[in-house]
Amino acid sequence: MNRFELLNLLKKTIQDELVICNIGLPSQELYKLNDRPNYFYMLGSMGLASSIGLGLSLTVDKNVISIDGDGSVLMNMNTLATIGNRAPSNYTLLIVDNGSYGSTGDQKTFTNERTSLKEVAIGAGCKNVIECSGEETDGNLKKALADKDNSYVIISKIQSGNVPIKPIPLNAVTIRDRFRKSIGLVSYL
Amino acid sequence: MVLLKYYSYKMKISQKIITNLKEGGADFFLSVPCKLLANMITILENDKDIYYSAIPREEEGMGICAGAYLGNKLPCIMMQNTGIGNSVNSIVSLLQLYQMPVVFLISYRGTPGEPVGAQGGMASVTEDILNTLRIPMLHCNTEDDLDKISTFTNHAKVIESPVAVLCNFNLMKDD
Repeated sequence: MNRFELLNLLKKTIQDELVICNIGLPSQELYKLNDRPNYFYMLGSMGLASSIGLGLSLTVDKNVISIDGDGSVLMNMNTLATIGNRAPSNYTLLIVDNGSYGSTGDQKTFTNERTSLKEVAIGAGCKNVIECSGEETDGNLKKALADKDNSYVIISKIQSGNVPIKPIPLNAVTIRDRFRKSIGLVSYL
Repeated sequence: MVLLKYYSYKMKISQKIITNLKEGGADFFLSVPCKLLANMITILENDKDIYYSAIPREEEGMGICAGAYLGNKLPCIMMQNTGIGNSVNSIVSLLQLYQMPVVFLISYRGTPGEPVGAQGGMASVTEDILNTLRIPMLHCNTEDDLDKISTFTNHAKVIESPVAVLCNFNLMKDD
């Protein structure tokens, strides 16, 4: 199973949740599969999808899912410590671990070698860290979303590989405004 | 109230900064600690009206602030000026790209009074970086300057942009 197939599998489960999606192909694939106003496509700032989701989950009651990648988590590993100590129960970090920098040509990451993001997350203080196959991910995500008392980190081990896809034809402020509208915030002022 | 009186006596500058930030609308605070921010952190840790947490790195903080803004908060991240160096891409390709207001409350290390020579390097480029990023700056050199923080904080919301409050070493050191 590759990322596109995984996201297709999760499509129904995440349809009404607040999703912060990683830069590049993950966002483009999610957009192609099922674009929703409650999906925030992160167009820059590689590494920060996990942190944006954390900040959002601290300020709203609804479930928040950060869809991140192994390369991106490796870039911002300190945020696992913040998640381990501060994440509220409505927060789920889903790490799509395909062992590669998918958006830049599938160069291998360290999760192909000696690094285990599961062990890193546990060591950083994260509770309910689940490593599973792509096929098992939907069930684990449903469990995380239904649990009103705990945050989760789910590491979905899948194959590398991408589908041909185009950049998202939305500008950043449009993504921002429709996302805020979806949680009832039409205007800030 | 007893606590507030204690702070206003012992931590006059720090209390004034926090009061002004809150008056301007800031209601979500993060910090990457600095000795000069220590009193402000103590005040925030005891403030039940707002969210506060220390975090390990400033760039991550820009992400958390972005999320808090999406959830309708006006975030403030407190850090040394060195943190700007750690955060340039996240400021440009997240906060500015999506037009998100965030207040940077910066302890300006390496300004006159600073005992650590190594802080001089980042101090000498901090304002050039902020200028290059087109981030409005408020310089606080005296206690009177602190009165401008509230309007400046609200300004971030109005222009939907990060703004930077720079507090010089000598202003903070005896607080």
